[in-house]
Amino acid sequence: MDTTEKKDDLPLGTPPAFARMHTIIRRACYVLLFGLVIEGALTFPLLAAWYGVPTLTPAEVCDELQKVMYSDDSRTCETADLRSPPLGGPGEAQHQTTAQDEWGVQPKPLYPRIGFRELVRNKEEREARERECAAEGPDHPSCNPGT
Amino acid sequence: MTTTDDTAAAADLGGIGLDDHVERSRQAQRAADRWLIGGTILMGTAILGIVGLPLFLRGLVLQRRAQLAGLSVRPIIVTLIGYMVMLDGALNTFGWAIDLLASHTYASRIFLPTWGNMFDAGYFWHYNNLPVGGAGAPGEKAWEVLGIFVVFPMRIAACIGFLQMKRWGHQWMIVTCWTGMLMWVGYVANMTVYADLRFTSVVFPVVGWWVYDIFYITPFVALPYLHTVNREIFSD
Amino acid sequence: MNQQDRVKRRALIAVQVVIYGYLLTMFLLQLRLYAQRDW
Repeated sequence: MDTTEKKDDLPLGTPPAFARMHTIIRRACYVLLFGLVIEGALTFPLLAAWYGVPTLTPAEVCDELQKVMYSDDSRTCETADLRSPPLGGPGEAQHQTTAQDEWGVQPKPLYPRIGFRELVRNKEEREARERECAAEGPDHPSCNPGT
Repeated sequence: MTTTDDTAAAADLGGIGLDDHVERSRQAQRAADRWLIGGTILMGTAILGIVGLPLFLRGLVLQRRAQLAGLSVRPIIVTLIGYMVMLDGALNTFGWAIDLLASHTYASRIFLPTWGNMFDAGYFWHYNNLPVGGAGAPGEKAWEVLGIFVVFPMRIAACIGFLQMKRWGHQWMIVTCWTGMLMWVGYVANMTVYADLRFTSVVFPVVGWWVYDIFYITPFVALPYLHTVNREIFSD
Repeated sequence: MNQQDRVKRRALIAVQVVIYGYLLTMFLLQLRLYAQRDW
């Protein structure tokens, strides 16, 4: 019969009534698969390029982000021992006091947006300031810029 | 019904006994699965995904070749859905597991707040400020616990059963795809309620997160298939 | 069987429309907030 011949073209388990639906789903899965893989591959290069790798090492990127995150130029990304969350011990920033936010039922952060490779500029400017402070002595305005 | 037709037809082919056909089918499926599993594992690491994809595609090619040769292998769409939902679960689990369970490692602190600063400040704002560590966004930890300990293990187990063409695998895939819908609805609602916190000063606000995360809708796409496939092809 | 299949197909398509409609709504809502607020 004609219907059995058509049925042979159908994948196993696909009733004729839903053949087109199953084809669309199969194609959608291919699109999603390629999308997932390509975005997974592009994520690290994109993050690296934007945040200053290889001029900055990943550890230095971490340091710079901490400084932006808590609006505090002295923060760094230190190695943590086993006595850290979730295994016990205080959170890395648990007792921080420098973060700038508008508090309320919906907090709004006040840190600035980080532009393309802006972390590199942040680091260079800070180091230039520190050199100037070291050279000029503690009374020079480059040391501890006014809040 | 179609399976017995296939095997009966195969038994009719001169010289190929039923046992032989079953054995050759099993071997062909296993050969394809080696490539599929290897590819999926690599894709699950995200960075090595671009290496995993060709391996995965080769597995699909092998399976299709076996199918065209008349062997009884899994339908391509079952393979595709099974491995993709597993990949979806694995990628999600990776990010959330390091946030909840490894928030103070270098890897976590280098990857998550960086990603967060670009796409979703929930993972940047007050990172590691909470006593439990990790992302500080309101509600985020609750979704992580639900995902890591309930939804994603269930999803991975269901995929294994589904790929083995087991009836329970098919049933639990339906369950886990619906729970995926629950997760998405709740998670997106939470993000939207706290949108000021999640998107202020983010490099690519709103559009960045959606472009990144829209590819995780595989459970939604799979649902109509799971509800319309002939259940007979899944055995007890 | 045909009527059952038709009902089933419509229901499944309706589920897809609802869920993608929800996602699109949230996306547009977030864009609207982005336009209105200082992000």
